[in-house]
Amino acid sequence: MSTAVLMERIAETSPRLQARIAGIFYLLTILTRMFVEIMVRNRLVVSDNAAATATNILAHESLFQLGFALDILAFASYVALTALLYELFKPVHRSLSLVAAFFSLVASVVQAISSLFHLAPLVVLGHSRYLNVFTVEQLQALALVFLKLRAAAYHNIGLVFFGLYLLLVGILILRSTFLPRILGVLMALAGLSYVLFLSPPLVRSLQPYILIFPAIGQISLTLWLLVMGVNAQRWKLQASTAGELRFVMHP
Amino acid sequence: MNTDVMIERSAETSPRLMARIAGVFYLLTIMTGIFAQGFVSGRLVVDGDAAATATNILTHQDLFQLGFAVYLIEMACQIATTALFYDLLKPPGRSVSLLAAFLGFAGCIIKTFSRLFFIAPLFILGGAHYLTAFSAEQLQALALLFLKVNDHGAAIALVFFGFYALLTGYLILRSTFLPRALGVLAILGGLGWLSFLYQPLGYRLFLFIAPLGLLGAAALILWLLVFGVNEQRWREQASAARQ
Repeated sequence: MSTAVLMERIAETSPRLQARIAGIFYLLTILTRMFVEIMVRNRLVVSDNAAATATNILAHESLFQLGFALDILAFASYVALTALLYELFKPVHRSLSLVAAFFSLVASVVQAISSLFHLAPLVVLGHSRYLNVFTVEQLQALALVFLKLRAAAYHNIGLVFFGLYLLLVGILILRSTFLPRILGVLMALAGLSYVLFLSPPLVRSLQPYILIFPAIGQISLTLWLLVMGVNAQRWKLQASTAGELRFVMHP
Repeated sequence: MNTDVMIERSAETSPRLMARIAGVFYLLTIMTGIFAQGFVSGRLVVDGDAAATATNILTHQDLFQLGFAVYLIEMACQIATTALFYDLLKPPGRSVSLLAAFLGFAGCIIKTFSRLFFIAPLFILGGAHYLTAFSAEQLQALALLFLKVNDHGAAIALVFFGFYALLTGYLILRSTFLPRALGVLAILGGLGWLSFLYQPLGYRLFLFIAPLGLLGAAALILWLLVFGVNEQRWREQASAARQ
């Protein structure tokens, strides 16, 4: 191995370490999201009861703010994960890996922008004088409408694109030589489940079973990345084969 | 091992196949967009009449829901097209192609987010108990307001698609593997979409701009589907760019 090649190898983070860092970001995303759903939203937002929701939010304003902060952290760490997985799957198929990354970014950005509607209730419930033109009931209803908008952005748009992302990641894993194929199958099933969110009536009839595959797939991938990383030797082989063939294609 | 076998084994899809796949996704983008806009939004949303719009949406809830799903499929196809065009147009100009992809991608995000305001009327008009704080007329007005926000959000995206089309047209002109006429048509279409920088102008000229944009898109799609790209010239330009 020439010195130049050796230097290049050292300069890049090893694929195994990169996979483990991706695993950490995935775990971080899952944990923060679960915390916000269970400890913040489920406790404070009462579906169809605007008055109770308003009272809860105002009584636990700092918890509600914490939920916002953790939401943003979750999106940021998912964006980091997306960049790492894009690099990791480039040797498998560059264009497909790029399409996958784009889907994940769209989902993350749409969900992150919709955090605006997580904060909006604090504004309309904030007792500013100019809001006196509305009745208290109207302001409370408006606050709940904002929370519903956030939920719609999260589920009806975000999850669909996450689903497409997970589906493509599943296909990339299946075509890769450095990750077990079963993970690819599980991720593809996870992705297909989320894509079903295109049809809310179908999702309602499949609740809560529709979340089984996404949970199994994502938790398995996270654990595998954390514990095993990727098979670094095979990754390098696949990466160099792709490179060599590109050279043959364009001599 | 001869070159053919090697290419077959390659992790990369051949440029001609990639061009055809891009053509398929581009075609799907246009068709889904026309369906959702023309046959769902256009039929159910009555401009300036909140009550009629609300009645239409509630009596055709399934169609409205389908329209939303098709809008999302449209965006998924457009995102895939954007990513594939980036790879396809790298040989005539790597940085310009990246810039084009980022602009197109930004447009896709804006348009996807706008669709939130297309689906919002469904729960505003859904008759939930907490919404009785507002009168029926207020809720109907709110629903139409959201639909307008959706329209204007999509119009913002059009400006980004305009810049995208300009750069794509430029890259096609500089390319050796696609006919230059396609580049000219893309640039003309892109200039048209830029009129949405001033939205009243964009809406006024829409009946001229849309056919122009569609003509460029249809020509490019047809060419990509039938001929793909000139594969040998694509490789020549790609390797020339590398040196």
